[in-house]
Amino acid sequence: MVTRVLVPMDDSAMAERALRYALEVHPDAEITVLHVVGEPSAMMGRAAGLALADDLEEAAEEAAGEVLTRAREIAAEYDVEITTRKAVGHPARVILDRAGDYDAVVMGTHGGSLRDRLLVGNVAQRVFSRSPVPVTVVR
Amino acid sequence: MSFSLLFLGVAASIFVGFNIGGSSTGIAWGPAVGAGLIRKTTAAAVMTFFVFLGGWTVGRNVMDTLAGDIITAPITLEAGVAVLAFIGLGILVANVFGVPVPTSMTTVGAIAGLGLATGTLNFQTIGRIVSWWIVTPIVGFWVGAVIGRYFYPELNRRFQVVTSEGPLLAVERGGRIPTIRLGPNTTRREVVSTAVVFVIGCYMAFSAGASNVPNAVAPLVSDGALAPDTAIVLATLAIGFGGFTIARRTMESVGGELSDIPLLAALIVMLTAATITTALSYIGIPISLVMATVMTIVGLGWGRATRPITARQAVRGETDTELSMGALKAEPDTEITRIGEEERAEVQNVGSLFNPHAVAKYLSMWIIGPSMSLALSYGFFLVFPFVGW
Repeated sequence: MVTRVLVPMDDSAMAERALRYALEVHPDAEITVLHVVGEPSAMMGRAAGLALADDLEEAAEEAAGEVLTRAREIAAEYDVEITTRKAVGHPARVILDRAGDYDAVVMGTHGGSLRDRLLVGNVAQRVFSRSPVPVTVVR
Repeated sequence: MSFSLLFLGVAASIFVGFNIGGSSTGIAWGPAVGAGLIRKTTAAAVMTFFVFLGGWTVGRNVMDTLAGDIITAPITLEAGVAVLAFIGLGILVANVFGVPVPTSMTTVGAIAGLGLATGTLNFQTIGRIVSWWIVTPIVGFWVGAVIGRYFYPELNRRFQVVTSEGPLLAVERGGRIPTIRLGPNTTRREVVSTAVVFVIGCYMAFSAGASNVPNAVAPLVSDGALAPDTAIVLATLAIGFGGFTIARRTMESVGGELSDIPLLAALIVMLTAATITTALSYIGIPISLVMATVMTIVGLGWGRATRPITARQAVRGETDTELSMGALKAEPDTEITRIGEEERAEVQNVGSLFNPHAVAKYLSMWIIGPSMSLALSYGFFLVFPFVGW
């Protein structure tokens, strides 16, 4: 039985749909939303900003805050308590590192623009092909 | 015919200059505007002035390279217009997809394509340019990494940008001669730090002018369609126009990237990038501000991120820091962690922010961009060989 579900999220609508899907399909599971900050950006400013911050914990918190708050709001609509986690680094790597601790991964197909694809790559595709646990890709 | 063609060329120049103005104003003034030290309009005005200065002085060397050295024959007006169209196309693609492709690279690619198609490419010049393109990112990264790793924490402790309520300076009209003194809440430190931010912004604007003015007009100058002086003024106006209009947006997007990093870091990045860009422009190498800027950011971030591990481990990719505990913790009261010392648990992940794979992916765009413009231009001039060759 699926009891622990990992839902990696970015700030896209697709990610929100993935969370809603997870909440609907796994109503009794323990859902953890993971947001990875510091991914490659147009001028690598995001990653550098985190690296240079006096307090990484705080900086990561600030960067992840919006997405994780949104995730909790969505979960509240379903009357479900979720766990939220933040991490720094390259999204696909971090997700793959942590996927092993869960029974399943539910995520959106792709977050964003062509730029994100060029810079970050297709995260869902990488997770899908390398994850140690079953992955549901929501579209 | 010739007149309408020139008109087309000038229009293309303005389009290119306008876009350059948008992005380089964002890079040069984004941090200062973001920190609330200068207004956007003021930034655009100062930008225009220093772009002109850069284009008028150092920029001429780059102009000579683009207009006369890359290909052995002058670029005819017809070909010039087509080259400008490719430069514009490159900018358009970069804007639409939000991918930073250095304009200087697109320009050189387009002119080199013309040279290849007509058998007039000066391989010696192009080889020299491309070698600098390879060296520059390395230099930028290295400077950034050394500062980020060894000096940044100390600098960060000493330098702080503060802004107080009220105007920075106040003019006292009591005496016979009006005297300027500090504003109500202004401290000496505030004046100094504001001045530093301002001066570095001007320097950045100067280097943007030196490197970017020729991009917008060199193809028209090559065969004498425009006189160099007229062309520099034209490019300045177009860049200034972009600075006053679309830069409002780019200061948030492009400049926003620079605002994601602390102001001190942004200043270090700008100082390094402007110096590299000005120096290369001086020796006539077309180089983009973006290139040096991004690599310095990456270097700075990487240098800082790998502080918890020794340089050798960082280079080898060994990030296991379990062993480094204890040995160097002799001074418990030092705020700054020593190199090789273990910082807090989560800081260890910071190294992953700059994994080589992501950086390589980023750099690949700098190879794809100019290659595409070269290929397109080459194909175009093969199919449409222009009269006069």
